[in-house]
Amino acid sequence: MKKMTLLFTALILSAMAHAQNDYTKSLNGIEWVKIESKADIVVRTYTSNEILIKAGDRHEVSERAKGLRLVGEGGNDNTEVGFYVVQDGNTLIVKNLRKSEGAEIFLPKNQNVAVKSTWNGNIEINGFAGEIEADAQLNGSIEILDVNGPVTANTLNGEVTVEFGAVKQSSPISIYSTNGAVDVTMPGNTPADLSLSSVNGDIYTNFDLKREEKDGLKSVSGRKVNAAINNGGVNISLKSTNGNIYLRKQ
Amino acid sequence: MKNNHISDLIPAYLDGTLDKNTQKKAEEHLSQCPDCQKELEEMKTLFKAFEDDVPHVPTNRLRNKFEEALEAEKESLGKMVPLVPKKKSNWATNLLKVAASIALLVASFQMGSLFQQRKVDGDMAILKDETLQMKQTAMLSLMENQSASKRIQGVNYIEEFEHPDEAIIQALANRLIHDENDNVRLTAFEALSKFSASDTVKNVFIEALGKEKNPSIQIGIIEMLVQIQEKKAIAPMKKLLEQEDTQPFIKEQIKAVLPKIT
Repeated sequence: MKKMTLLFTALILSAMAHAQNDYTKSLNGIEWVKIESKADIVVRTYTSNEILIKAGDRHEVSERAKGLRLVGEGGNDNTEVGFYVVQDGNTLIVKNLRKSEGAEIFLPKNQNVAVKSTWNGNIEINGFAGEIEADAQLNGSIEILDVNGPVTANTLNGEVTVEFGAVKQSSPISIYSTNGAVDVTMPGNTPADLSLSSVNGDIYTNFDLKREEKDGLKSVSGRKVNAAINNGGVNISLKSTNGNIYLRKQ
Repeated sequence: MKNNHISDLIPAYLDGTLDKNTQKKAEEHLSQCPDCQKELEEMKTLFKAFEDDVPHVPTNRLRNKFEEALEAEKESLGKMVPLVPKKKSNWATNLLKVAASIALLVASFQMGSLFQQRKVDGDMAILKDETLQMKQTAMLSLMENQSASKRIQGVNYIEEFEHPDEAIIQALANRLIHDENDNVRLTAFEALSKFSASDTVKNVFIEALGKEKNPSIQIGIIEMLVQIQEKKAIAPMKKLLEQEDTQPFIKEQIKAVLPKIT
């Protein structure tokens, strides 16, 4: 009997501890989840139709801050995990108020996700079939793995890595970086109209590019390559101003 | 035998075609009957007259006269629209009528098909116009979409328009200046750079250069403005030089190109 009570107490305690670090909210009627953070953000998929935020493990409320609310740039902590979450129409806005602590966020596979890193945070997005927008505005990098839908990604100083599963949709894919490299991997049979350009960097690929010909002349400019692969299809635009472009076959 | 006159037999008697018995009887009767003798004499006279009668052959003169008269008559008839030529002309008229109706049919068919063609051409023009209109509507609505990828798709529709109207240019300008997504802004810049000859586009570029924070777009706009020798671009470029958050390579680029704008 004593053992049982102990077990129960342990369970309740662990549940409470768990509750402190997790936040969930239903995603009914939500089309877009927009995440904004200064620190690292990892977005993964799971089966439940709600958002689950797992704040960093090191998260602990200091003695001084006890009983006080965290006030951030974008709003107040209304989740107990250092996030401000508010619904705006069909969009759920999720802001990480802590400047140096990252978080893991779980969402259903088909959710449309937009992630913005406004300072040093890196963005990692894994396994989505919906639409993905990622923007690392300062020093963060972007890594998007195992995705099927349209992707829009942009970095300033970080690099962008994207690995596609099947690419079937009609809406364009656009991946830009100013100073970082753009590294994209996709299946060899992807039908696409490619536009690759780098102002000061180089372009590398192992796809057979049929270059557009103008008056029978092939474009030889190293700065910009327009080509169709597998008879053309979805528009894929990869650009870097000062970085290299890498386009790989899976 | 008095009453037994032989008047029926007289012509055959005269021709000598009666058999001997009848001949004898006729001779006996004739010798006794003065009536029959008289009739025989008359018949003989008639026969003789027949034999003596020489057929009157018309003289050549008469023949000529007749032919002259015939010719004259023919001529006069010819002037009176003779029947045969009239028939001929009727047939010709019919032929003409048929030809005319065929011509009319062909002509009306041609006219019809011409009008139809014109109508079809008109319809095609309207359709084309409608397609462009629809594309424009689709483009403008896509550019307002919540999804950045869809907005980029909308911007890319610009390739469908050779001569985009002011509404499209304005919508692209709005994307370049106001869109929150860097990729959309960069795509809008690339779309607009094809129309850099337009004053509207030049002014949009200058306005965008004053606002834009993304270095990739900044450098694109700077290159474009230098290329079209836009003097109004000097002020926003100098401002960028002074700003602390401008990327070093942008500053270098501006320093390199400023002297080129003369």
